[in-house]
Amino acid sequence: MSTLSRPPFTVAAFLFLTMAAYAEGTIEFNRDIRPILSENCFQCHGPDKNKRKAKLRLDVREDALKPAESGEIAIVPKVISKSALIDRIVSTDEDEQMPPAESHKKLTGAQKEKLRLWIAEGADYQAPWAFIAPKRIPAPGIRGIGWARNQIDQFIAQELETRRLGHSPEAPKELLLRRVSFALTGLPPSISQMDRFSADTAPDAYEKEIDRLLATPQFGEHMAVYWLDAARYGDTHGLHLDNERSMWPYRDWVVRAFNENLPFDQFTLWQLAGDLIPNATRDQKIASGFNRCNVTSGEGGSINEELLFRYALDRTETAVNTWMGLTAGCAVCHDHKFDPITQKDFYSLFAFFNSAADPAMDGNEKFTPPVLKLPSPAQENQLREWTEKIAAARAGIKAELARIEYVDPAALDPIPPISQVEEIWLEDDFPADAKPASAATWATDRVQSGKRAIKQTGQGITQNYFEGAEKPFPAPSNGKIFAYVWLDPADPPKAIMLQWHGDGNWNWRANWGDKDAITFGQAGTPAKLQIGELPKPGEWVRLEVSVEDLKLKPGAKFDGLAFTQFGGTVYWDHSGAAYEVNPAADPERSQIAWEKRNEGHDPGEKVPKAIRDIFLANKERTAEHKQTLRDYFLSEVFAGNRERFNLLQTGVKKLEDEKKAFEAGIPATLVMADIEQKREAHIMLRGQYDKPGEKVEPAVPAIFGKLPVTGRATRLDLANWLIAPENPLASRVIVNRLWQQIFGNGLVRTAGDFGAQGETPSHPELLDWLAVELRESGWDIKHLIRLMLTSATFRQDSRMTPALLEADPENRFLARGPRFRLDAEELRDNALAVGGLLDLTLGGVPVRPYQPENIWEPLGFVGSNTREYKQDHGQALYRRSLYTFWKRNAPAPFLTTFDAPSRDSSCIRRERSDTPLQALLLMNDVQHFEAARALGQRMLLEGGTTANERISYGFRLATTRRPAESEQTVLKETFEKELEHFAANLPAAQQAVTFGESKPKPDLNPAELAAYTMVANVLLNMDETLTEN
Amino acid sequence: MQPLHDFAALQSRRAFLSNTGLGVGAIALNCLIGGRQAAAAAQNYGSAVHPSLPGLPHFPASAKRIIYLHMNGAPSQLDLFDYKPNLGGYFDKNLPESVRMGQRITTMTSGQTRLPVAPSMFKFSQHGRSGIWISELLPHTASVVDEITLLKTVHTEAINHDPACTFLMTGNELPGKASLGSWLSYGLGSENENLPAFVVLTPSWSSKANAQALFTRMWNSGFLPTRFNGVPLRSGADPVLFIKDPPGVDRDMRRTMLDALNKLNQNASERFGDPETQTRIAQYEMAFRMQASVPELADISGESNETIEMYGPDARKPGTFAASALLARRLVERGVRVVKILHRGWDQHSNLPSELRAQCLDVDQACAALIKDLKQRDLLKETLVVWGGEFGRTVYSQGTLTATDYGRDHHPRNFCMWMAGGGIKAGTVFGETDDFSYNPIVDPVHLRDLNATILRCMGIDHKQLAFKSQGLDQKLTGVQDAEVIKGILG
Repeated sequence: MSTLSRPPFTVAAFLFLTMAAYAEGTIEFNRDIRPILSENCFQCHGPDKNKRKAKLRLDVREDALKPAESGEIAIVPKVISKSALIDRIVSTDEDEQMPPAESHKKLTGAQKEKLRLWIAEGADYQAPWAFIAPKRIPAPGIRGIGWARNQIDQFIAQELETRRLGHSPEAPKELLLRRVSFALTGLPPSISQMDRFSADTAPDAYEKEIDRLLATPQFGEHMAVYWLDAARYGDTHGLHLDNERSMWPYRDWVVRAFNENLPFDQFTLWQLAGDLIPNATRDQKIASGFNRCNVTSGEGGSINEELLFRYALDRTETAVNTWMGLTAGCAVCHDHKFDPITQKDFYSLFAFFNSAADPAMDGNEKFTPPVLKLPSPAQENQLREWTEKIAAARAGIKAELARIEYVDPAALDPIPPISQVEEIWLEDDFPADAKPASAATWATDRVQSGKRAIKQTGQGITQNYFEGAEKPFPAPSNGKIFAYVWLDPADPPKAIMLQWHGDGNWNWRANWGDKDAITFGQAGTPAKLQIGELPKPGEWVRLEVSVEDLKLKPGAKFDGLAFTQFGGTVYWDHSGAAYEVNPAADPERSQIAWEKRNEGHDPGEKVPKAIRDIFLANKERTAEHKQTLRDYFLSEVFAGNRERFNLLQTGVKKLEDEKKAFEAGIPATLVMADIEQKREAHIMLRGQYDKPGEKVEPAVPAIFGKLPVTGRATRLDLANWLIAPENPLASRVIVNRLWQQIFGNGLVRTAGDFGAQGETPSHPELLDWLAVELRESGWDIKHLIRLMLTSATFRQDSRMTPALLEADPENRFLARGPRFRLDAEELRDNALAVGGLLDLTLGGVPVRPYQPENIWEPLGFVGSNTREYKQDHGQALYRRSLYTFWKRNAPAPFLTTFDAPSRDSSCIRRERSDTPLQALLLMNDVQHFEAARALGQRMLLEGGTTANERISYGFRLATTRRPAESEQTVLKETFEKELEHFAANLPAAQQAVTFGESKPKPDLNPAELAAYTMVANVLLNMDETLTEN
Repeated sequence: MQPLHDFAALQSRRAFLSNTGLGVGAIALNCLIGGRQAAAAAQNYGSAVHPSLPGLPHFPASAKRIIYLHMNGAPSQLDLFDYKPNLGGYFDKNLPESVRMGQRITTMTSGQTRLPVAPSMFKFSQHGRSGIWISELLPHTASVVDEITLLKTVHTEAINHDPACTFLMTGNELPGKASLGSWLSYGLGSENENLPAFVVLTPSWSSKANAQALFTRMWNSGFLPTRFNGVPLRSGADPVLFIKDPPGVDRDMRRTMLDALNKLNQNASERFGDPETQTRIAQYEMAFRMQASVPELADISGESNETIEMYGPDARKPGTFAASALLARRLVERGVRVVKILHRGWDQHSNLPSELRAQCLDVDQACAALIKDLKQRDLLKETLVVWGGEFGRTVYSQGTLTATDYGRDHHPRNFCMWMAGGGIKAGTVFGETDDFSYNPIVDPVHLRDLNATILRCMGIDHKQLAFKSQGLDQKLTGVQDAEVIKGILG
């Protein structure tokens, strides 16, 4: 073999090898060879054409058999001596060796041997197993008759036999009841359920329990926890301000869907594309909110295109992860190194999600559109009533309009004369309907006109003002605004200022005297016009400001006035506006003049669209147009009718405001919708939002063929493809996750990676059998779960012998029953349930239970509406953990401490860690200690009359079994020690039993209760209590 | 979770316990000996509670611990470290297009009609033997310049806080990846049996403007098991969550409760044979020890007046940056692997001069004191200290510009950080920027390179520290190439 300057085969970084099942007999590509090639070779000799080295591709048989760049042939079937691959893997020459040293990867002797054997046998390839549609093979017959209860057991038993492992005996009845209760509802059984079950000797007693549990609403709640991890559900937007969002109706729908056993194919369709289903129901639309659970930003300065790109990316990855069990993340930037998913495939999937109608900036709003309002029937009725009232009020306006006989002054001959008008805004008092800022000092000792004037004396800036006059004052641009002042010669001010309020702002000011004394407004703009020196003191002077200088919009009006001075004593009186009225040319009196002024222009956003459109169109008007213009003019513009219509319109507005306020209280949820004009999708070079490459259309990865649609494919087509019988992934992926939930590990342990980098299934035929069973049962999730739980496999005892631990430390082959720590939500719910505190109210807005101080506050953006944690009180403290407000920036410590994900991104497998922080939480958190107190109280009140009986009762509540004698002794001794301590320290006892908001029964002896509380604290921290055994 | 690993870790933990022949008691004993000595005796880089991965460190580590001082919001390099004496003549003139070269800017200033240059109003002078230029805002930092390497050309892609911070801390702009501290505690474990391996401090700050938020993802473990999460050490009565026994429960009663619990858990261990039960017993014991060690840690009454005064008057006020810096020293002294202090309030879009002054007053003296304190205790040589923000700020002003008032927008193309101790060269400047501090011209340093370098100091090859998740060998430095900055290693 020639020596090359660069090795033609290269490989990448070492990680952890997982040994596939060692096969006796022939080599099977997917089981034995693909994992070796994928881990060690595909990085450089795999599907990614840009990273391929030496022109050698090993994932496709045809290519692997061709000469590479060097002329060598990697694989010559059945001829080891000519297969360069073998030379390279056994070479000790650094330049030749594969994988190369710098990759930090190394083949084991066994792996080399497998490759040799495989080539010797002919180097057969298989398509990646997960890309071949599952076929059901009959469950194998087994020798150990009598153990198997259903087909699952037959597959399990076969594998156990191959591995020379036996199964374990059935778990004790009480342990089984607890196990199955947690598996189905995430809650422990009650004492009466324990009693009933242990008394039921019928052969199907266990099956009856399963049916009972499947029918409880708590089943859907428990299932939802894991689905919401995949859906990355949260109650905040997740980025930057991390403000609250209203998504909980989607959460409640997920609970409902599981409880109603919505077939999984429908469950899929509704969530991916509920908005696209013709005549979509309310639930279908809510379900589409799956696509709206992604994190969003409202951070100022963000670039819209970048955000939209990220949202679509997240939606694509989440869908791919959730239903296809593939990791598409790599293909964002380059062809997938290990799976046949190209970058083009990824962006073709991306194209399905790239036209979502939600804005780039979430606006930090609770209801970022598009949203679906969800009124209750009663709310709907009320809304209808309001709508009717508003319609009636509007009809009243119409009727009024019909009665008006209007003659346009411009149409008169001769036209009416021009007159001078002086309109008074202030005389003797603020307008009765305005909101004065303070009770002004009115003086009668010096007036310019009328009976009294405002007298103002003060240090620094002093003012009187009002705003919100119901009948705003017009300020025609040809007019002048005036006011009279009298400056005290003995105590003159430094400056005086008139200010006007309109459009919600105090943006118009006129100043006399020192121009810096009164600091309001930017000098030189209408926000601060400098008119001149202070007027002469000791006499009434008329101040005048030309309206034109205020640069107002035509037709602008003021609803507030302010009289401001810096120091001194000033009398203010008689303010208003003086202007000329020419009825024929006045747009507020002549419709002809009004139309003339607006023709061809946009009259502004305050004017209804219908009117603006007519003016902008500037065309011949239909009778309908004319009527619309007339009605609008007479009701909204014409000065002669102002009072009459103001009154009517105020009535309408009031109703509308009330309706709006009512609507704001109606729940709503973020839903998915696409924009009309679809956005183009491109391959984004290196995954950068601003580097579009080749344009792509929505499509499924090429390896799966084409969607059977004409025209542009939609999310609905994608969803239909996922649930089609020939789809190899969705059914497997979901049964695998159910298996993971129930047995602790998936059959494919890398539940999020069914690709070549993931692990091969421990029981491939069982996985396929279950996948087909799911589909053929009509996608019946409850049926599948029932199958798993009624299997003999599930019912085994979970005891690990040293031999079993050695042979199968992770219990992949299930020679024993499952045993694992309860999840975060289960741990809290369990404590509440055992303590009798749990509130089982279903659904609704998220609740805020106990949380230590300063979890949110030190982190949150100052302007965020989730910066301050406002804890709820009463029953909200004891709701199921599913309903706890999920702030993604900082989820509740009881969640994160026990491995709940942040919900920033899709998660389909939780870890199970074990840390001292968990111990601290379970011992000391008020939620858990209060639950211990409640359990202690139950032991006292319900447990019997002796300490032994009570301890046994508490033990049973916590574990479903009665304590062994040794356990009883330990707890009894502890109880006595604690009792002695607390009896001598009554204040301490009192403190211990009043921790938390619920109160203990007042007539209980605090020392005794405290001692039982400590015993309960032990019970609630026992390994057995924290574990599904 | 990696089964082989966990299993291996479990085995080593169990081996450790059984080899000493004392089981649970061994940990208690260990507590008496003191975590560090015990770890040394066990010839283990980490401890029994926080073991290191097999094969780690990859290299002899120049730093055993790290204190990361994160200035959240992005401090202005132009007003603190990147001295541009010639900018004065450009006051209020437009940034030349030849400098910007059409590079993108945020939508906060892209709408401005002009981009007027705002020279720093602060005086710079040279300090120490190294003669490094430092702004008058940092007189104390200036006194320790001979201990630091000043990096002037750090850069990143992100232009907004959230993605930039996520990148800085986790090597990726999108949430979900493991933070630097989590990687380090995953790889190296910790030498202390009684404290978490990775501790986070979030002190108060002085800027009055809206401060950018912190996110738990800045110290979370992402795809790594959650036991590698950073543990926030809070100011106030409950420095670690739930560290205090409930009211009315004293230490003796807690001990009584735990003794009972241990016995019952031993029963469970025998009944189910699950190794996890033994781990749980050990974790409850560690929790009990933490209840003593954490308050001891937070109690600074044993510190000399001289030491406390060196950190400044704030050092006596829990929750301030100065108090946090002192706590950081106490933590690394006890063998905690990673301490991260996240100080907020550095986002000066407007009123930069007064706001930045207030922010510098918060941190300057304590940062310098931390370096001096570590040095005098001979800890600096094996403690890496890193100071910096998530990006820099623009040379042009955002909003009002006068000689004494201006603001600066986000600038990811170059910014300054400094590093000290733990194998970093002392008294040097690395990299140079153009006359407008707009682009690097010599030795650009991407944040990936910085992370690779931090790992290198800690004895880790960034190409080798990987964790399989989502079908990828996940690394702190991501899939793109990262280079260790050899030029700053001593």
